[in-house]
Amino acid sequence: MKDLLLTNNLTKAFGGLVAVNEVSLTIRENTFTLLIGPNGCGKTTLLNVCTGVLRPDGGEVKLEGKDITGWSPESIYELGFVRTFQIPMPFLSLTVLDNVLSAMRNPGESPLKAIAKRTWVKEEEKNVERALEILWRVGLSREWDKPAYSLGGAQLKMLEISRSLASGAKLVALDEPIGGVDPIYADEILTYITSLKSYGLTFLVIEHRIDIAAPYADYAYAMDRGSVISQGKPQDVLNDPKVVEVYLG
Amino acid sequence: MRNIGDVLKQNLMKREVIISLVMLLVLTYLAISLGFPIIFSTLILFFIFSIVTLSLNLEVGHTGISQFGRVIAVIAGAFVVGAIPGRILAFLYGLPFGLEYADDAVNYKVVPLIHKILEKDIALALGFLLFCLVLAGLSGALIGWLTSRPAIRLREAYLGISLLAFGDFFMWVGHNWEPLVGGTTAVFIPDPFRIVWGYRMQAVAFTLLAILVLVYLFIERITKSPFGRTLKMLRDSPLVSRVYGKDIVKIRTQSLVIGSAIAAIGGALYVIYTGTCTAIGFTRLTWTFWPWAYMMLGGVGSNIGMVLGVLVLTVSRTLIILYRKSLFGFLLLWGIDPIWLEFTLLGLVIIFIILFMPYGLVPEKSETVLPSGRIKAILESVRKQSSQTPEN
Repeated sequence: MKDLLLTNNLTKAFGGLVAVNEVSLTIRENTFTLLIGPNGCGKTTLLNVCTGVLRPDGGEVKLEGKDITGWSPESIYELGFVRTFQIPMPFLSLTVLDNVLSAMRNPGESPLKAIAKRTWVKEEEKNVERALEILWRVGLSREWDKPAYSLGGAQLKMLEISRSLASGAKLVALDEPIGGVDPIYADEILTYITSLKSYGLTFLVIEHRIDIAAPYADYAYAMDRGSVISQGKPQDVLNDPKVVEVYLG
Repeated sequence: MRNIGDVLKQNLMKREVIISLVMLLVLTYLAISLGFPIIFSTLILFFIFSIVTLSLNLEVGHTGISQFGRVIAVIAGAFVVGAIPGRILAFLYGLPFGLEYADDAVNYKVVPLIHKILEKDIALALGFLLFCLVLAGLSGALIGWLTSRPAIRLREAYLGISLLAFGDFFMWVGHNWEPLVGGTTAVFIPDPFRIVWGYRMQAVAFTLLAILVLVYLFIERITKSPFGRTLKMLRDSPLVSRVYGKDIVKIRTQSLVIGSAIAAIGGALYVIYTGTCTAIGFTRLTWTFWPWAYMMLGGVGSNIGMVLGVLVLTVSRTLIILYRKSLFGFLLLWGIDPIWLEFTLLGLVIIFIILFMPYGLVPEKSETVLPSGRIKAILESVRKQSSQTPEN
């Protein structure tokens, strides 16, 4: 298996607070990698630095061997790396379906082609079909025409996941995908995500609810106060005395 | 529980029809009591401001840019039509066309000579009108591109303030630099409608209506397309748009260029209609704040709402101007001059909308790009396929 995403001594500080401190991690292709750690340990900041939302202060990020340190989010999307947000950030006024379509490409996004409907309507229909398939799998297909602001919390989480899956990205980073979702539904979602590995997708998942997520993971990293404190097979990481200590005190 | 979207959907069509009927009744009453000229001038203002407000809605309602400088693009269209096409005709027919063209002592002699030529040649008149509109559109697009440069770095209030200042800047340049459009005096615009003298108002009104329909269809088409969806993405969340691969600088620029080109055509039509271009007339009140009030009343983000908002307020303004002396003259007793009622209305409308109907007359609907029947059919086939193949 190839290394898909690689960070090398990645550092990000906010004034005196070093949120991410020389973190080096490797995400192998076609795996489900879990990133755990207590609140405020720098998981989301790490993701923000990797996806171009924030600029790192040091170190480098490589995607398939290409140095993407400090790239803009839109260029990183072009290379096939997208992420979701911990607090769902849907396009509130758009319908559920349009939210999923928003992650896809269509020639009609150019204003010149938008005038001539026939240049984009076929592609739009294809995209709609794929979007509805994803919505059906996450249990949102019945709400396709509702505006995103009318959805509930768990539904918004699913919408957030659907949008990232629709982007056609190779690497999808999910920031707490099952936070606030009931355990049975969460299991269904994780099963679905894991099944997508057979299409060649790779997942980096940040999660607090380790007990639910661990069985699906191939590899795990644990962070505390900006640094990686443990890595390996999920069960080994969970039983690592250092990890037990930061979680239980 | 019924959500607010359902309640709105039920009442919307009714509301649109009722408002339009009431306005039609008012216009009919005016036509009967005061004759047709007042109707035509009201309609012409309605058409021109609809064009400008639709363009504003593209930038504010659909893209979320704080465009407090609508007047900039309107000025670009008006000044260019005031300064260039007349000079070209003057040059072609051996009349003074240099800096002195805009001098009031020369201009009032040159333009009637051009009229003599225009009123005989219909092809020339039509060509002249078309040339004016194309020129205005291009200059509007250019000024839209220029104003999009600060829009990359500045956001919301700061961008709004900069655009507001730019608008006044251009007005004062025109007011103080005589060779452009006559400075403190007006420059006359050669009139392409001379040829139908006697029916000029009617001809102008129908031409404007045709242009408004074209602009409306164009905006409706591009906003109900994947391009329109990216505009709304940017409005709802610039950060998430970037994470999903949208170049927000490009999208803001495209929206400003298209919107400004349309607004400039509106400005050009206004000076062609009035036959003169006076720099000091292009104030932020008339060409930025009135369109904002129309837009807020109509329903930010809704295209049909713009037309309805302009209709309601244009008719109200006409009524106020007509009847403020006779009906509200008594206000003078309390030291209030009814001459200011028109501007009081602007403030009242904005306060009323914010308090009681923040989504306007026709609130924006969340609609998919493809018709919902087509999507339902696709959904049905997806469901069938998925239930045939076992999960995972």
